[in-house]
Amino acid sequence: MRVETIIIGLALLISLAGCGAQQAEFVNRDEIDELIPEAQTHVRKVLDGAGIEGETGHFGKPTNMVLWERLPVHYHGAYGAFAETQIDEGADEVSTLNVSLLEQNLPVEPGQTLAWISGKYAGQASTAVAALNEAGNQIEIDPGLSVPPDAGDRFAIAPGAVISHGRKLYAEHCQHCHGVTGDGNGPTAKYLNPRPRDYRLGKFKFTSTGSSVKVTRNDLSQIVENGIPGTYMPSFKLLTEEENHAIVEYVRWLSMRGEIEFKLIQALRNDYSKEAVDSAVASARESDSKLSSSEARQNIVAEMDEYLTGDWVDEFNDDTKFLADQWKQAEDPSALVIPKVARVADTPESRARGRALYLSAKAKCATCHGDAGLGDGSQTLAVQKNPTTNTDYDVPGLFDDWGNPLKPRNLATGIYRGGRRPLDLYRRVHAGISGTPMPAFGTVLKDEEIWDIVNYVMHIPFESRDQRPGDGAGESVPASTEVATVAPDESTDIAN
Amino acid sequence: MKRFWCAFFMFWPIVAVILCWIAPGQNWWFPRGPSGTGAAMSPLGERIDDLFYMILMITSVTFVGTQVALGYVLFTGARRSDTSHDAEGAEKTWFTHGSHNLEVMWSIVPAAVLLFIALYQMEVWAEYRVKDKFPEEVRKGPQAEVTARQFEWRIRYPGLDENGNPLELMPDPQPTDLYTVNDLHLTSGEPVMIWLRSEDVQHSFFLPELRVKQDAVPGLVIPVWFEATKSTEYSLLCAELCGWGHYKMKARLVAEREEDRLVWLQELQAAQNDDGVPDAGDASDDE
Repeated sequence: MRVETIIIGLALLISLAGCGAQQAEFVNRDEIDELIPEAQTHVRKVLDGAGIEGETGHFGKPTNMVLWERLPVHYHGAYGAFAETQIDEGADEVSTLNVSLLEQNLPVEPGQTLAWISGKYAGQASTAVAALNEAGNQIEIDPGLSVPPDAGDRFAIAPGAVISHGRKLYAEHCQHCHGVTGDGNGPTAKYLNPRPRDYRLGKFKFTSTGSSVKVTRNDLSQIVENGIPGTYMPSFKLLTEEENHAIVEYVRWLSMRGEIEFKLIQALRNDYSKEAVDSAVASARESDSKLSSSEARQNIVAEMDEYLTGDWVDEFNDDTKFLADQWKQAEDPSALVIPKVARVADTPESRARGRALYLSAKAKCATCHGDAGLGDGSQTLAVQKNPTTNTDYDVPGLFDDWGNPLKPRNLATGIYRGGRRPLDLYRRVHAGISGTPMPAFGTVLKDEEIWDIVNYVMHIPFESRDQRPGDGAGESVPASTEVATVAPDESTDIAN
Repeated sequence: MKRFWCAFFMFWPIVAVILCWIAPGQNWWFPRGPSGTGAAMSPLGERIDDLFYMILMITSVTFVGTQVALGYVLFTGARRSDTSHDAEGAEKTWFTHGSHNLEVMWSIVPAAVLLFIALYQMEVWAEYRVKDKFPEEVRKGPQAEVTARQFEWRIRYPGLDENGNPLELMPDPQPTDLYTVNDLHLTSGEPVMIWLRSEDVQHSFFLPELRVKQDAVPGLVIPVWFEATKSTEYSLLCAELCGWGHYKMKARLVAEREEDRLVWLQELQAAQNDDGVPDAGDASDDE
């Protein structure tokens, strides 16, 4: 009895091992290891303060997020600024605030927290929201404030409600493929082909925006809702609109975090990588033989500190502003690709014109997608150049910006990853697919020409095999077995 | 101690009977669903439930009977051994081995019960699975093709003709076809059929509220019919462990009146043919 108890107890212990709560942590890009430790510390300090006492950086941890106001992310239930209020003389406190809401993501309900972000109450104890009036420009707080805030003081209602909801949903539905950091490297990612998206480049393939413009919220939410056919991204149709929005905001936030991290490392990589510092130390000692290597290194680190407290601050602010503007720009209606001309009627003539363009030197579709649209064009056999390093890839074939091998789409399958509406195909041709070698033809081709191509491409799955040019189902079969028997006879005839 | 075991083995059948008795009222058997009572939402489902309850009755009676017999044997055994100290009243244990009559009895009785169940359920089974027994309404063709894949349900509907009437669903995709994912819209109040396929591994098409469960097998096109009595939303789940994302395979079945479904199909068609040009009068553009 006793032995059995011990065995069962041990078995239980073993089966429970590894069940402990695992803290989700952001991981840094691999490139950070190229930097000298001092530079690495700086990157961590700015990003998330990982391993540095008292530092949270601009992003914090997944479980303890820092919401950086400069990024255009919907973090809060609502976000707004205090407007000038007529204060009644004699009233000893202000409980009705005139406000202008800059964004409202969730309904404002009594009992929610109101937190001041700027002004004299910034970061201070928050007040409970009693109600919001119907016009949405007046808010009751309880208890009131004895001294009114200044006009323009910003506040958040239900602070962080959207993003923290998004994080929970992301952890539940997305993280196992897309990773805690959004690096597309979650535990299940290695089983997938194509690989899950790595958000950290800030690039998303299927957008409604022009080339080199970022993805819109709506694009991301469509992907979450409908999935991507032909890939492992499933549809999350049953999530509510609110849940979908929360996930999208969290993904955008992760994406911005990744981009900022990349910029940070880029800024230091040239001069303060381990390699660069070693060679700088060597050359410093060459010119001054009395200098010890540790002194030379200290000089370089001091120089880096000077840069980081000086020029870098401005550069970083500019970069951040540029990034925020890019994401904001995507939300502007002008960023959308909208055809100027209605779809050309889907007639055999239009398809024939599309087919001609498809093969032409102007559109060059066939060089990648193949003469028959089977995704087997000549470029898939050629060695390509990596656009970032400008060196040849080791193996022939196309690659995407994430370094994964990429096949041009087989247009005969009838699977359209970016959506099957004519508008979706128009946008793929007009703006290209960011992060991939698919170029934008919006400037090269006229709208009518793009529609001709769309009509042709949408028809490819319905071409019968023998109709399909270049596929050659008929030709690849020997014309007749007689060739083999007749030929020797003929040759003997000739010999005779 | 002997009395304790006696009581112990009698206690459980009593608990089981009480639990089984109150379970239907507490919705412990079936998902509550749109009916709110756990009742099946389709006529065939109700008959399947009847079969279920009949089998439950048979097994309950068997279980209770067995337990009562066990309790009786224990009880009488305990009584006999109580008097065993007294040499007069001591009763010798009765050993049995190989009673032919008993063997025959407990072979024939369960066999008869099983045979009864097999014959009794045949009608329901045939109606659900055998094509010749399908209701007249579904023989005109399927309303949609449902393709299971890791980890979602992709649905293909036949398009609409110029008059807004649905075309016939063809085995192969057509340029006019309409597509959705995880969103199955079918007509309520009449038997409807779908074609079920799988793109990769085995899945199982499961409508718990309608009591429909059918495996989707790669390479096969399986006709499945059912009738949703109420126009509402039902859950559609995968009931076959199909991979690591199995739990994600949740979708909805929207059963609605035929005219509502046609309106929905027209909207879907307009959205799917959207060319994004605003003055085309397309209200469905979601941007």
